[in-house]
Order: sequence, then structure tokens, then C-alpha cells
Amino acid sequence: MRAWLSLASFLGGIVLLTSACATSEEWSEWRGHTTHFASGTHGVFSLRNNKDGSNPRVARTDVDAARAENWWGKAITVSPEQIFQN
Amino acid sequence: MSRYDRTVRGGLLAALLFYGVSLTAQAYAAPADALMPIEKYTTPKARGLANAHRLRLIEFSEQIYNCMPWLAVYPGRLGFPKYKDSADDDRYLSMWIWVDQRENADFAAVPQDRRASAMFSRYGVDMLRRMAALSDVVDDSNLSGLSVVLSWLKPGTSRPGQKPVNETLALFVDKATAADFLAKRVGSEEFVSRAKFNLFDGESLVGRVPLEVWEDSFNTTYKVTNYDPPKGAKCQ
Repeated sequence: MRAWLSLASFLGGIVLLTSACATSEEWSEWRGHTTHFASGTHGVFSLRNNKDGSNPRVARTDVDAARAENWWGKAITVSPEQIFQN
Repeated sequence: MSRYDRTVRGGLLAALLFYGVSLTAQAYAAPADALMPIEKYTTPKARGLANAHRLRLIEFSEQIYNCMPWLAVYPGRLGFPKYKDSADDDRYLSMWIWVDQRENADFAAVPQDRRASAMFSRYGVDMLRRMAALSDVVDDSNLSGLSVVLSWLKPGTSRPGQKPVNETLALFVDKATAADFLAKRVGSEEFVSRAKFNLFDGESLVGRVPLEVWEDSFNTTYKVTNYDPPKGAKCQ
């Protein structure tokens, strides 16, 4: 019984804490527009405006959080050993 | 306190601990984490450079982190490595940067070597310029040159169900050539001919591709709409 209560409290705590940080519609929309185009000719950083016409402010930590949700660090990339020696 | 209360409190504590550990893990790309750990260097010369210039490199990393959120330094990849096939201990001030590149039809339409040229022209040259401005580091007699490594999403590889692939350009150049190129005493063709570089497609070596370098002021002029650098950040 105690184990079940601990587990339930543990999971509940996680849900509570994470949802408080990442459930707003604005955040979701912003997260979908975090990357910029860096083609050889143009560059823009797209942030969708809110429905009321205002623009959300973006902090550096928001960028980190968005990348953690994206494919940053997950793409197939050359290993450092193919480029460097330490 | 009842057994139930103790159990609930224990569960919440465990949740907080778990969340704290998760936050710590996500913070791996913080400015100081960009520096190559000193214990990973294999020669006294490299460790000496890393020790002597650690604070300067942290400042440098902070500037990129705070002021250029469209770039990210790979964790542990700002430091003083040597070129892979180097027989001697020539050390380069090197930085491996990931460019936050989204799928883009125009970018996808150009050949791979042209994408490498565009990326180097846009980000590589400016990073060389910023590194060359670290005069106390560059003037260190133990430093042989500068190195920029750029990775970006290969167009067409970020579709659902597909593992994305990065293209990577790794360039090394001696200090004198870098200085002459940045001061326009050496042209881009001569700079390219003197530099050692390779392009990689994912994990595969493409090799030395035709590289063109042209003027591109994007990285020095671009401002992210609605982005607020942290208070105290000195962005130039």
C-alpha cells in the first residue's frame, strides 16, 4: 500500500511540475516556430504572434527548452574522433 | 505525522529530486559546459592552453550563448584540439557550432558543396573573426591556428519516422593566414587553398569539396524578434 501511494505521489508530482511549465497554448505555438531559416540567401527567426496581436517575449532558456524537445543532439553527426585529436 | 503523510511527502520529495535531476541534465549546453574538460587533453601543451585561457573562453561561450541563440556550441567542443591526422602537437583554438537550421526549399535546392560554402560564409567567417579578436588567446605562442566546425540539418532528413542527419564542415587554418584573410590581405581563394577542411554527410566523409567564401553579414547584423538576452549580457 505504501509503495503504491509513493508511486502515485511521485507520478503526480511529475505531472504537476512539468505541466506548470509547458502547457500554455502560446508556449506550444512558440515551440513549433523556434528554428530559423539559414539558407544561403535569407534568414528569419519565425515567432508566431499571439491571437491578440501581441508577440511573446523569448528568453534564452526558452530556446534551450525548445531544443530539448526537438531533434537537437539526436541527428546523425560525424564523431569528434573523425575530426580532432584531444 | 501520520504514515500516510510521510509517504506522500516522500513521494513528492522523490518527484522534486527527479525533476531537479532532469533540469540539470537539460542544462548540459550551458556556456561553461561548452569548454572541453581539461582532463580530456592528452598533452601538457594542450592542458597549458586550456588552463591559461579558461576564463576567456567561458566569456566567449557566454557571448555566443546569450547573443546568438540561433547557434549552439556542442558541449565540450570549445577548446584546443589538434587536427586528426596531425603528427605533431599543433593546437588550434576550435569551436564546433550547431546552426539551428530548419527545412528550407531554397537551401535544399543548392548542391551540398554550395550549402557548405553558404554556411561557412555566413557563420564560419564571423566565428573566425570573433576568435581572432581574442588577442590574448591567439597571441599565445603555443597556439598554431584557428578552427571552426559547423553542423546543420541536411535538407530533407527531418521528416517523421526518419532519423535526421547533420552535414558538418570542419576547417583548420594557421594563425597568420586567418589574420591575413580577415584583414583582406589574403583573398578567399588563397585562404581556402591554405586551409585544411573536410565536409561530412552524417558520419560519412565527403572530403575536400569546392569551397567558395563570400561576404555575408547575417551573423553580425541579425536580431531575433522578441528575443531578450539575459540581463548583463554584452552583445556585439
